Amino acid sequence: MSAEPLIEMRNATKEYRGVPAVTNVNFVLNKGEIHALLGENGAGKSTLTKAMAGVTQLTGGEMLLDGKAVSFSTPAEALANGVAMVFQETSLVPSMTVAQNLYLGDENLFNRIRGLNIAAQTFLQSLNFNVNPTAIVSGLGAAHKQMVEIARAVRKNVRVIIFDEPTASLTPEEKHHFFSLVERLKQRGVSIIFITHNLEEALQIADRITVLRDGELVVSDATSAFDRDKIIRAMVGRSLSNSLYRKHSGAGARPTGDKVLSVQNLSMGNIVKNTSFSVYSGQITGMFGLIGSGRTETAKIVSGVFKRNFFNGGEVRLRDQSVRYRVPRQAVKDGIVYVTEDRKIEGFFETMSIAENLHMGQLAAGLEKGTVVSMSEMKALAAEWTKALGIKAIDHNARVIELSGGNQQKVVISKSLVQKPQIVIFDEPTRGVDVGAIAEIHQLINRLADEGLAVVVISSYLPEILNISDRILVCRSGRVVEEFSPEEATDEKIMFAAVH
Amino acid sequence: MIGALRSWWDNFRGAGEAAVTVPPMDGALRPNRAIEDGDLLHAAAAPDNLTVVDERLLFTAGHEIFELGGGRKKTKPVATFGSDITALACSPDGALAIGLAGGGIRLDGGAHDGKSFDAFDGKRLVCVTALLFTSADELLIANGSAKRSAAEWKHDLMERNASGSVWKLDLKSGKATLLADRLAWPYGLALTPKGDVAVSESWRHRIVVIPRQGGAPKPVLEDLPGYPARLSPAPDGGLWLAIFAPRGQLTEFILREAEFRKRMMADIAPDYWAAPSLKASSTFLEPLQGGAQKHLGMLKPWAPTRSYGLVVNLDAKFHPTASFHSRADGTRHGIASAVEQDGRLVIASKGGDAVVGIDLKGEAR
Repeated sequence: MSAEPLIEMRNATKEYRGVPAVTNVNFVLNKGEIHALLGENGAGKSTLTKAMAGVTQLTGGEMLLDGKAVSFSTPAEALANGVAMVFQETSLVPSMTVAQNLYLGDENLFNRIRGLNIAAQTFLQSLNFNVNPTAIVSGLGAAHKQMVEIARAVRKNVRVIIFDEPTASLTPEEKHHFFSLVERLKQRGVSIIFITHNLEEALQIADRITVLRDGELVVSDATSAFDRDKIIRAMVGRSLSNSLYRKHSGAGARPTGDKVLSVQNLSMGNIVKNTSFSVYSGQITGMFGLIGSGRTETAKIVSGVFKRNFFNGGEVRLRDQSVRYRVPRQAVKDGIVYVTEDRKIEGFFETMSIAENLHMGQLAAGLEKGTVVSMSEMKALAAEWTKALGIKAIDHNARVIELSGGNQQKVVISKSLVQKPQIVIFDEPTRGVDVGAIAEIHQLINRLADEGLAVVVISSYLPEILNISDRILVCRSGRVVEEFSPEEATDEKIMFAAVH
Repeated sequence: MIGALRSWWDNFRGAGEAAVTVPPMDGALRPNRAIEDGDLLHAAAAPDNLTVVDERLLFTAGHEIFELGGGRKKTKPVATFGSDITALACSPDGALAIGLAGGGIRLDGGAHDGKSFDAFDGKRLVCVTALLFTSADELLIANGSAKRSAAEWKHDLMERNASGSVWKLDLKSGKATLLADRLAWPYGLALTPKGDVAVSESWRHRIVVIPRQGGAPKPVLEDLPGYPARLSPAPDGGLWLAIFAPRGQLTEFILREAEFRKRMMADIAPDYWAAPSLKASSTFLEPLQGGAQKHLGMLKPWAPTRSYGLVVNLDAKFHPTASFHSRADGTRHGIASAVEQDGRLVIASKGGDAVVGIDLKGEAR
């Protein structure tokens, strides 16, 4: 590995309306290295990297590329200088095909679509990405969109690629491909900045690790100098390792309560195939499965977002009564809420305030008291839940888009909990959430189960499932295939059930 | 009118009442191999009706009553009757009540020795499935069906009968009181802590509680994944419930197809019906036992099956808390009776021809 710096940030500072997001950060990216950038949501990782990629501009300090001071005013300028960024939220054009997105901006006056598709196919295959180049992007899943996004950056033949949470929506197999790709890029001399919340990935793949906290650099060193606990201490200023990653012993597993939900032979197209399981009150039912195993779709059928097959679609029994919801509102009225995995698209109204979002939750449950909205009640509601869940915001009128990922997730959860549910289905509750917020969300989920609610946690993150669940269901190919108790569950057993 | 339309619509879509669905065996009913791995206490043809009498454990096989041995003691016959025994109960004073396949009940020992009862209110007891003494002078009787005998349980299920009844009999006066009727094969009886009568209703896959003085049955545990059989008390105030066969989507479907059932019953021998069974598969002529789940000649334990072995522990509120299984690849199926004695659960596998013991102290519940 060369120790020659490619990018240097000296005393980098960025302020938004006088509020510092990054303060005096000195960061060095060497040539041909993989550099993991870690920190809680709001620590300043994205701000720092956006400044490198020309998305934002620094308000203080300077950036050096190959030892020369540079300041990119647009991403295109950064790209022209060999710096590309792959964003967490994909920047693809949804109505175009994969091939068109890959070659967007590089089109000739006359393009042969077939030629474009063949070129895209060859290129995607060289990256080991199994994506159909003729598919329309809006029809792709999150993982495939991410692949196209990555492929687009790689295709530009850049010197620096900044990945912002690249693996959040990838399956283990896809992650394996992605890591091989990163290694290949590294061998070609490309430097990589890798923002992630997954500490294991950082420890596995990175040459060096830098940790930011509250906009300041806490530590930057070779990966060999770190372990998981040290990273967490650096990130949050305290050790959370034991509470976050301990394995549920099983001894403290909550006893089985009433069977509140029984899903029987549920089917929806080719995605959910004859799946059956039960959910009990006062318990956390963990549901693990790879992407495409039908977990989310099953949860959405139960909560009325999706509809099961019209003919012989199976049965959902709520407290021994057969139910079939046409819209989520009916499920909410029956006490079933679904906390979405895709909070930005389905979870909240991003330009509305916390108070307005929570009020929307009440409206959906039909809990509004009159036709006229009382602003004071709305504020009181927001104050109550902001306090209860520890949402960090300037005030209740803060727009949700301005909050960090963890706080956004807490707003989504609050929006569901104001509906006074009996059954709460959390879908990837800690995806894209920092470790500090993960601990708080886990505590909240445990508290709900202790209060007697039936809680389902869908997660593709094994340590989370092993830590939090009182019973673990494993999904594969559209159905629940195995159940484990916490004491007998291991990574290997769960993964084996999920794959074979 | 609306109900009829609803029913037609549900039938058309396979939804609501017409949904061909089966509840999952998960949570407390999560499958294991406990029954298959249990100790064989005695091999007998179709053992049934386990009953504890003064620390002796009795069971029936065919037309004989046996006392189960243990240690140096051998299992030995204690009584023989002219026809098969369908139910057995023991009174606090040591008397036995025996239900017989030919119909009726006979009392053996105690203050009412020699008495027999064949009919109540002019209705013949053709199918005594369970008996329970509430005192030395009072006996509860489950008559599984008014139309079929106990041996014809498959016929009763396939005809979708609900003609069973539960009676309270004053042995002194011989007066019988009907507690509930129109039950779909009442198969197990137990007393609740309040003194009411818990009844397992096989064809409706549920347990109901009937007030001791009679009245409408109130469901307390519904939508079981199999056909419940006998109930016996557990020391912690709960109950042991034997489930003699599993529900399956194929059976549920056939139970909705009246014409198919009619022709199947007319043309095919009962052993080969697409219906629940007590025994594990022994011939390829049987329908869909194992389905397509045989791999390299081995039947997978999760294969669709018409027979199964299952005993469930219920708490005082009738919530399942633990279960013991013999899965599709096992043989100890068709369990209609289980009792707990001295920290050991004794199970009579009617289909597996075995009396099995499970040490509850060693088993994680």
